[in-house]
Amino acid sequence: MEKEIKRIIAVLIGICILFVSLVVYLTYFQVFRANAVRNNSYNKRLWINEEKILRGSIIDRNGRILAYSEYNGETYSRVYNYGNLYSHIIGYSYRDYGKSNLELHYNNVLLNISDSSALNELKNLVEPNSEGNTLKLTIDHHLQEYSRNLLKGKKGAIVAMNPSTGEIYAMVSLPDFNPVTLREEWSNIVEDEDSPLLNRAISGLYQPGSTFKVVTATALLENDVSLGEYKCTGTTIIDGYPLKDYDGKGHGTIDLEGALVYSCNPYFAEAGIELGIDKLSETAEKFMLNKEIPFDLPVKKSSFPNKGNIGKTDIAAASIGQGKVLVTPLNMALIASGIANKGDIMKPVLVKEVISKNGKVIDSFEAEVISRATDIFTANELKNMMVDVVNIGTGKNARIRNIRVAGKTGTAENPSGNDHAWFIGFAPAEDPKIAIAVILEEEGSTGGQKAAPIAKNIMVEALNTINN
Amino acid sequence: MLNKGINYRLPRNLLFVFEMMALFLMFMYYRSTLDKSTIIYGLSLIFIVYVSNLILSKIVSGDNYLFLIVTMLASIGIIMIYRINHEQGIKQIIWISIGIVLFFVTYFVVKRFKGWENLFIYYLSASIFLFVATLILGKRFRGAVNWISIGGISFQPTEIIKILAILMIASYYTNYDKFKKKKWGNYYLIGIMYLFVFFLFIQRDLGSVLIFCSLFLALQYIYNENRKLVFANLVVLIFSGLLGFAIFPHVKIRFETWINPWKYIDTIGYQITQSLFAISEGGFFGTGLGLGHPDFIPEVSKDFIFSAICEEMGILAGIGVIMLFMILVYRGFKISINQKNKFFRIAALGISILFGIQSFIIFGGVINMIPLTGITIPFVSYGGSSMLSSFIALGILQVASEELDIEED
Amino acid sequence: MYNILSLVFKYVFIVIIYLFIFSIIKLIYLDIKGIRPISFDNSTYLKLINRKESLPFKIKEYYPLDDNIFLGRGNDNEIVIKDPYISKKHLRIVKDEDDYFLEDLKSANGTYVNGQRVMDVLKLNNGDRITVGQVEFIFVNRG
Repeated sequence: MEKEIKRIIAVLIGICILFVSLVVYLTYFQVFRANAVRNNSYNKRLWINEEKILRGSIIDRNGRILAYSEYNGETYSRVYNYGNLYSHIIGYSYRDYGKSNLELHYNNVLLNISDSSALNELKNLVEPNSEGNTLKLTIDHHLQEYSRNLLKGKKGAIVAMNPSTGEIYAMVSLPDFNPVTLREEWSNIVEDEDSPLLNRAISGLYQPGSTFKVVTATALLENDVSLGEYKCTGTTIIDGYPLKDYDGKGHGTIDLEGALVYSCNPYFAEAGIELGIDKLSETAEKFMLNKEIPFDLPVKKSSFPNKGNIGKTDIAAASIGQGKVLVTPLNMALIASGIANKGDIMKPVLVKEVISKNGKVIDSFEAEVISRATDIFTANELKNMMVDVVNIGTGKNARIRNIRVAGKTGTAENPSGNDHAWFIGFAPAEDPKIAIAVILEEEGSTGGQKAAPIAKNIMVEALNTINN
Repeated sequence: MLNKGINYRLPRNLLFVFEMMALFLMFMYYRSTLDKSTIIYGLSLIFIVYVSNLILSKIVSGDNYLFLIVTMLASIGIIMIYRINHEQGIKQIIWISIGIVLFFVTYFVVKRFKGWENLFIYYLSASIFLFVATLILGKRFRGAVNWISIGGISFQPTEIIKILAILMIASYYTNYDKFKKKKWGNYYLIGIMYLFVFFLFIQRDLGSVLIFCSLFLALQYIYNENRKLVFANLVVLIFSGLLGFAIFPHVKIRFETWINPWKYIDTIGYQITQSLFAISEGGFFGTGLGLGHPDFIPEVSKDFIFSAICEEMGILAGIGVIMLFMILVYRGFKISINQKNKFFRIAALGISILFGIQSFIIFGGVINMIPLTGITIPFVSYGGSSMLSSFIALGILQVASEELDIEED
Repeated sequence: MYNILSLVFKYVFIVIIYLFIFSIIKLIYLDIKGIRPISFDNSTYLKLINRKESLPFKIKEYYPLDDNIFLGRGNDNEIVIKDPYISKKHLRIVKDEDDYFLEDLKSANGTYVNGQRVMDVLKLNNGDRITVGQVEFIFVNRG
């Protein structure tokens, strides 16, 4: 009798545990996963409202209309004024192809469908929804167009932003596609080996090469690690493996500043080993590697190797931005911005304001610090070194007359093809108004040669035309 | 005694208020297409439910909560079904009404007659007969063969077999001493279990396979003295489960769809992903009846009615339904523990386990916590066979909740 | 119009459903609590001495006793025994302070305690044998 009852109770408890797990899973699902699940183009609910609501327009920071919806007698259809130019920022919104980029992630705002909080629903009932909200972007159309023209014909990405507010003035990724002819070109687009649908600025992961030395230098300064009077012979041996400079000639006696200005690999490799992977990793993470970067579009996480067995050759490679270090161009722009902005990295922003159909601004972004990458003194030292990079070092092609420009070149060895050409920088050095990151994928030449001039031109254009 | 009466009034009245409000809301929702008959149906159901609960509390000496809980569940179900599909709603009202009648009939019949525990052979042969009939006459519906159509009326034999199986197991263990004496008597039940599972497997009714296996295993675990046998059984079942997964594609595909439904979103994963969309739409309080789109889910009235409830009435309502089932199962177990008559004790246990496992499997399936199987939610899902058999089972459970004599013959 | 209704109702529905659930739980809880004083391991009860199988009518092995118990053939007694030799209302056991008293209610065949016929009221002690009709109990009072 007793045993029987015990067993019965055991089965009862078992079933109750099953039920409780159901409740837990449901709650977990609702709290953590529901939102991500909803935003799926197969979810007809996203479209149900489209037919009745005038989808909001998207405009640049100066009010120029980039995308809007028009009524053709039966339904609304979407018009993209500038085709390829905003394919990776605005994306597209079509019934049979779904939604992408801002059209997807700001879908509710564009249709003015708010979350089901009681107050909002009540509001909705009193005043039924017929028109969505307008998105005002931080993008400057002129700069965006200018930047894309400079990159034309190549593969790569450009991110130009305001280092003190985080506003993105231009974000270009090539190759791109034309949302207007999406339907006709769909199979070509999807099968293209160069992935035109990929937004390289936020989803492309590359080895940063020498541009990463900026981070290593920061770590060395903060931890007071120095190699003293170092003699660079153009090559150094780490654990039996040779590590060379780009031209292998050797820089002679050189200090940290010199190593940065002339991009000396052996110096940084050895200094990095002396620093140790932990300290280097700590600084890298303050510069947002291995971290989620909050943004209006999903950004791939950059990675810095700090787990498992890390040997000397790994540290050496990481110190010069090779090996297992992978970054997105946006991350590099944030690094440049951080140094420009007294050591504080601001949250990158694409959407400046949300404007209701009545013209009222119902939401506007607030500049936010997402990481104090370094202190103001170290940032200043770095800044001065980077000015020298442009004045007398590898970044001469980024010089602008009458303006102090800070920068760093990079030529990343690419295991699967030609080297990538990088440039990161900001100007004017004393009071930075623009920070930039440029990458030319598999360019085959150095960052100084090819990436720096592009960056310079864009910075000049930005300083001349953007004043708000 | 007086105290009892007053306390039962509260939930009964709450249920009444709930149903009236729902009826009103449905009236408003369908106001353009409504005809008098719907109001009549609705009011009749509310009346029947109220009166039944009232009668039960007065007449029956056993448990009253069972019926209350069940009618609340049925009400929630009916609201959702009616909102989705007017005609199905009316049919469901009819099924519930017949179900309630069957409940009372079962109650009185089972209580009146003795000797239920001696009908082992009849339970067994009826089950096998139904299985064979299904194989011969059965129609395939969405992959599983579990419907029989006779002269315009279609029903699911599996629903009846479930109850027969429980009664069979109960009678087996009640008369265990007799069975033990026979040759192989010990293994009768296990053999029958494998036979049933085999039939169900051929029918491709994987959900029922799961139910029957759990039912058999649980009851065996409690009542079979040979512990090694129970363990061996478990091992064999798990092993054959894995084997089935490896060999049969239709098992494998269920698993793959469960792990990543998004990959198969426009083929086999369509239903479950639509279900997930619905659930994520509602938030905690739901979108409000009639304001969501549960109709985007194919076949929503049957297995996915739970997703519809989560969408329009909220996760909280879904949790409420789960809690109601939990209480129902708990009550069933308590009844079984208190019942001294061995046959009814096991029967009550079996029925409670059935309700519990069946609802868990389908809830878990539609929220994608476990792989999806095509079985119904007792009392809530649309469907005559399911509703009627559930009420019959409830009737037996109700009998088991009273004090009965231990018959020695 | 309908939308507002549905919106308001959805909150009300949730409230009702949960009120319902809680009232049922409360009922069950009260029920369990109520059962306890009359539970199996109560310290005062009548235990059957006869062999149950030997009696031609329905009878239990244990009858828990509380403050006021009537025993008889009639259905309105707390203890119902369908023994033809037991009267419709045969006897009564009452609790006064900590003691239990047995009173024979002018039954046809009488009530016997330890072999002696009970004339009116008798105090019961632990271990007393009570005989009514064909049934014999032992009175157990541990507390």
